[in-house]
Amino acid sequence: MKLKKGFVLRVVGGESVVVPVGELSKTFHGMINLNETGAFLWKFFTEEHTVEEGVVALCAEYDVSPEQAEKDVRKFVETLQANGFAE
Amino acid sequence: MQEERLTIEEVLTQKGVYVGPTVGCSMLPMLKARRDTIVVKAKTERLKRLDVALYKRGDAYVLHRVLCPIDGGYIIRGDNCYADEYIPEKDILGVLTEFFRKGKHVLCTDKKYIQYAKRRLKTYKIRRFFVRIKVKIRRICSKIFRFFFPRKEK
Repeated sequence: MKLKKGFVLRVVGGESVVVPVGELSKTFHGMINLNETGAFLWKFFTEEHTVEEGVVALCAEYDVSPEQAEKDVRKFVETLQANGFAE
Repeated sequence: MQEERLTIEEVLTQKGVYVGPTVGCSMLPMLKARRDTIVVKAKTERLKRLDVALYKRGDAYVLHRVLCPIDGGYIIRGDNCYADEYIPEKDILGVLTEFFRKGKHVLCTDKKYIQYAKRRLKTYKIRRFFVRIKVKIRRICSKIFRFFFPRKEK
């Protein structure tokens, strides 16, 4: 899974916000608020990675069980795909 | 991620801050359309000279610089515009507090930014003079061109 090009992650007042730039901003009008792990996964999936790789990365970065990490990464990826943010 | 579909006004009211891309060329060279990102905070106090205000004109959201706060409103003009406008206080939604230009983060309290804003206002008359000359030259060139290559009548 890889994120579509045309989104940028900005940190504003300690909060992570994703906004569209370029051509994508003509069709996508909105801002995406992410929590800390969401921002970590967003950065991770800017390059092509599998869900399994995401789980390993999340476990390495945060103190979380592999089961919980897999559940969270799958949910995150599904949300991205459902909203058309994935390539 | 929870999906909420809100207008910019609603985002400002509920979250207090709006982050998004820019559209249009009225704030060039500071903000380029669809390249830069703006951070606008909901208006909590009266704006000052050099602040960049977000307001609504019809259905469009406009981001222009405050030239002069006056009773009940502001005289406002875009950095790349040559006409002033009066905007009532009630129409102002928020104020630009920071932005990302070519990916670089700029705070509106930065010394360099304030110097830029002052310089932009100071050089207004000379810029307007050159723009008028440019328009006149263009008109003359167009007339000369039309003299030699007239439009075909239908």
